[in-house]
Amino acid sequence: MRPGMLVDAGRCMACYACFMACKDEHCGWGSALTKPQPEMGQYWMNIVEWERGDSERRIKTASVPTLCEHCENPWCMAAAKDGAVYKRPDGIVIIDPEKAVGQRQIVDACPIHAIYWNEALQLPQKCTLCAELLDDPEYPGKEPRCSEACPNQALIFGDLDDPDNLLHQRMAIRHYTPLTGFPTDPHGNVIHVDVPTAFLFGTVYYPEEEEEVCIGAHVKMVCEDGTVYEQDTNWAGDYEFEWLPEGKKFHITITKDGYKPIEIDTETGTGTHADHVVGMHYLEEV
Amino acid sequence: MAENVTTVPVNQISPNTNGKLRITHSVCVGGPMEVHTIDGVMRRVRPIVLTDDDAPGWVIKARGQEFTPQRKTTMSLLGYCEKDRTYAYDRLKYPMIREDFVETPDGKNRNTENRGKSGYRRASWDEALSLVAREIKRLHKTYGKETITACTSSHHSWGLSGYKISLFNRFFSMMGYTRVIDNPDSWEGFTWGTPHTYGYYWRLGGPEPFDMLEMALQNTETIIMWSHDPDTTRGGYSAQESALWRWWMKDVGIKFIFIDPMNNFSSVKMADKWYGPRMGTDAAFLEAIAYTWVTEGTYDKEYVAQHGHRFKEWEAHLLGLGPDGTAKTPKWAEGICGIKAADIKALARLWASDVTIAGSGMRGGFGGACRTVGGTDYARLIVSLLGMQGMGKPGRNMWGGSCGAPMNYNFWFGGYSDPLSSIAKAPICDHPAVNTVEQVLYRPNMPDAILDGHYEWYGEGFCGGGLDFEFTRHIYPQPGYNKVHCFWRYGGSFIGTMLDTNKWVRMYKSPELEFVINQDIYFTPETRHADVILPACTNLERVDIGEVGNSGNGGYCSHSQTGNSWQVIVFQDKAIEPLWDSRSDFWIFSQVAARLGWGEEFTEGRNEEQWAKRFWQFSDLPKHMSWEEFKKKGYYIPPVSYKPEDRDPKTGLIENWDRWPGFQWFAENRPCDTPNHQIFQEEHKLGTLSGKWEFVSESMLYWAPDDEIRTPIAHYKDAWEGHKSLSADKYPYGMISPHPRFDYHTHYNLHAVWLWEIPENRHYINGNPYLVCRINPVVAAQKGIKDGDIVRLFNDRGSVLCAARVTRRVNKETIHAYTSSGIYNPIEYGERESWDKGGSVNLLVPGRLMGEYIPAMVPNSCNIDVELAEADPNFGQGFEHILDAVDKQQLETQRPIRTSAEADLLFGEKEAKIS
Repeated sequence: MRPGMLVDAGRCMACYACFMACKDEHCGWGSALTKPQPEMGQYWMNIVEWERGDSERRIKTASVPTLCEHCENPWCMAAAKDGAVYKRPDGIVIIDPEKAVGQRQIVDACPIHAIYWNEALQLPQKCTLCAELLDDPEYPGKEPRCSEACPNQALIFGDLDDPDNLLHQRMAIRHYTPLTGFPTDPHGNVIHVDVPTAFLFGTVYYPEEEEEVCIGAHVKMVCEDGTVYEQDTNWAGDYEFEWLPEGKKFHITITKDGYKPIEIDTETGTGTHADHVVGMHYLEEV
Repeated sequence: MAENVTTVPVNQISPNTNGKLRITHSVCVGGPMEVHTIDGVMRRVRPIVLTDDDAPGWVIKARGQEFTPQRKTTMSLLGYCEKDRTYAYDRLKYPMIREDFVETPDGKNRNTENRGKSGYRRASWDEALSLVAREIKRLHKTYGKETITACTSSHHSWGLSGYKISLFNRFFSMMGYTRVIDNPDSWEGFTWGTPHTYGYYWRLGGPEPFDMLEMALQNTETIIMWSHDPDTTRGGYSAQESALWRWWMKDVGIKFIFIDPMNNFSSVKMADKWYGPRMGTDAAFLEAIAYTWVTEGTYDKEYVAQHGHRFKEWEAHLLGLGPDGTAKTPKWAEGICGIKAADIKALARLWASDVTIAGSGMRGGFGGACRTVGGTDYARLIVSLLGMQGMGKPGRNMWGGSCGAPMNYNFWFGGYSDPLSSIAKAPICDHPAVNTVEQVLYRPNMPDAILDGHYEWYGEGFCGGGLDFEFTRHIYPQPGYNKVHCFWRYGGSFIGTMLDTNKWVRMYKSPELEFVINQDIYFTPETRHADVILPACTNLERVDIGEVGNSGNGGYCSHSQTGNSWQVIVFQDKAIEPLWDSRSDFWIFSQVAARLGWGEEFTEGRNEEQWAKRFWQFSDLPKHMSWEEFKKKGYYIPPVSYKPEDRDPKTGLIENWDRWPGFQWFAENRPCDTPNHQIFQEEHKLGTLSGKWEFVSESMLYWAPDDEIRTPIAHYKDAWEGHKSLSADKYPYGMISPHPRFDYHTHYNLHAVWLWEIPENRHYINGNPYLVCRINPVVAAQKGIKDGDIVRLFNDRGSVLCAARVTRRVNKETIHAYTSSGIYNPIEYGERESWDKGGSVNLLVPGRLMGEYIPAMVPNSCNIDVELAEADPNFGQGFEHILDAVDKQQLETQRPIRTSAEADLLFGEKEAKIS
């Protein structure tokens, strides 16, 4: 059994049940594997959120539950002295709460900032994937607190060695997204999927005085890398291309019989500014 | 403080991680839970994971897919606060008496103006209870029973014995008191509006959600969430159960449309399209949709001809042939609501061509449009439009996506508003408690009544008894009765939920209130204005019994437990002993009753567990589980009603059960068969005066033909506070304050500090958690406001400091801040109209009720301005100096406030690939 966690960001509603369950488990109470988490200030289950889109015409939010990745080759383990960080045979990465005292460099080593510094205890601390509960025969639950708390199946706990479980089924149909600056591939015990990239969105209208959206206009989009994307506008006159590459230039051509084609040059941004509302396009008769 | 008290927070008494784990169960508005304790200290709460012994699940088959609930219950984030709430920094630890309170024999000269400012001294239970009893006797002797009033917030506890309609009701009814009528604050426009269009006054204007989940999954093509954020309001109090259902709806291809001035938390995740009209203009938007259907002939003419009443007159009104002579064209609506005419037409055509459900109504009405001046017009027009599209036909209905799971309607266990499920009533008690005082007060404007000494209004608040209940007349003081001079407040705070709430502060300072008792678990904003404080314990420190989400099988939201995938009936065992010197509410009331001489009559000789057992006894539970078994296991889950052959032999799931899809009987012209129906529905009639779908309301014409707000034909009117009212010149932004995502009433944010670390909820700065308000970037730029800045929201009624979130999720006319702040921290403590840094935005909302005949609150018709401000340089929340028992250590941790810069760091440039 290799305990794994699939983070399906596309299903996360940012309801914060996982965040609270994690605090419920770790604040004020420790175990052999970790000291108590302070009441405030640490987020072993950190929900990273940003707003997508640069116009009221189309706004979405991204929310990505982010926890210790339990890396294949942990940076924190490399930075630790005296074996203060170790990777268990099942892959879970643990900071030894005795040996790690005073080792601030362990916090700084983590590229995704999943390790926190406990000032009072002079101790680096992080997610244990609830290993202390998974190990405990007395504890009635069978999974970490966060995934047990998730009502949306956005956090799916399962055996990485079992190719037939829900974790693998879901992974097979989602976009796999390695975290930035985080070239761990193969991944650790935590896998992120469906972390959004970029969208381009717009609405096509008939000439303004007609006050009608244009349904079924053909939108053809060519990326600078040559990829072609095509769509017809929907019932609202909208087109929306999701999962686009970030930081690329696109040329859009909108065509509708009887009207002049509309040509637009646009681009996707990067990171939290990747998404772009191209605009409201009014057709002109030929 | 006379007596210096030092405390050690219980959760810092070095927890014994090696102790023996004890498991009990509980339930709150955040869901059912397993409670783990070690050596008498709470360790954790977790969802109930079903075992093989528990009920088999149902399976809904729809469009080639199968959907069955996970074999675990869910909890919302609020449920996970239970431990944090239990050991909260602001728990009331001891009975306390205001330090400058003087027990004068005539009730005068008691330094009432210092309420809210004065400190408290610790008292013994005997001293506090004796004072309460002496004062009650004095007040009774001087003025009579009616001089004491008392009221409670809803849902500060869960459980049939301890809930307000049960225990509180029993105590005060036996004593006699001036009752405070609640207003239907969550669904105002529906309560006061839709009964005049399609009946359903017994559901306060809400629809029948029965079996709607299956109906929608199988038939619906589009769901329009109109002023509705189901992921936030969670079916009322149904944990996070329905979240997965809506993903199922996405999975079968249902389109999601959201209409709300704020691109709400469900919308930003699920919307295929969002429309953000100006708040309070939904009626114009709806009329333009109807206009489009009428002119294009795209409505169900047969249905309207058969069931509609005076449709032609409404049609004429839409076409501009009515008295106002204005056609309700999309162009006309565009000017009012700010949505482009082309977009309105597109939505109208989608609604007409697709099988559409409108996500609205009781469990879908929390979003705010129903709490505007035009709230009844909005609600009635939604219903009118649904009538035009054949409501009740497969997949066409009014349903908010958060109730309507399969349920066993034949299994009886009481809900909190069931007349049969109260310890004040038979059969639970032997001797029912009857209040002999007829005089009542009305909650939204209770301070006006106390301060002015006179108040009049129409309506019963909750008008489930009939259409005419909306038109009863009340006068305070009722002729022949004395005024109120004593207020016993119980559980929660209205400063964060009611209207123009500086008035509540003024009321508390009035010498008219000679004596104020506050019985609560926490030091809430209202607790701070009491003369004597009685500290109650939480649900987890006493015994009770209750079912998740069950408001009552016959109550106003009858069968609301269909908001859950599983019906979970919980033995709410005592997990830990009452903390500090707190006691159970039952103990407190019993003690006062004993001191007044009717202790035996009050308890009937039963303890709390024996009362809880009565609810088991008078339910269907004994057929399935003995009391001892139930106590030991802690919960019971009745399966949906089925026969053995209804189970899928392979999976064991139930694929066929007794079902009664809501409103289908009406569309199919057969006698009503749904649960919770009225006799006349069996004759295929609606609850309107004509029995039909009234496009012109006969009840309005009969009872209030001159009402200018609620007119016989529902239509858009400019609001007395809105974008065109005079105050808009001075205060140009409309503030909306819908039901909150990160709180419930006022019961969580004040106590559970973990919630303050959610960036969309609060920003914790210098010891104070500032509420997030949302401002459009254009407005922010004009005002020099950056994301994360502290801003002042203000109008003539007050000022509130909030943390600005600059976001395109609101339009340029709108500022959003959630209502129900349990936190009220005036910068100048105890001063009237001081700026509040606690986020009680209800200080700003109008005190005026919707209309002369409509006693509804309209907090979402609220004009304000905003400016850049600074955080209060003084540390903390302002009450620490008057309550030494506060655990300051918990407040002193600072936290960084997250920004999207962090997101850039982690998810800066991504390359997605299909694995």
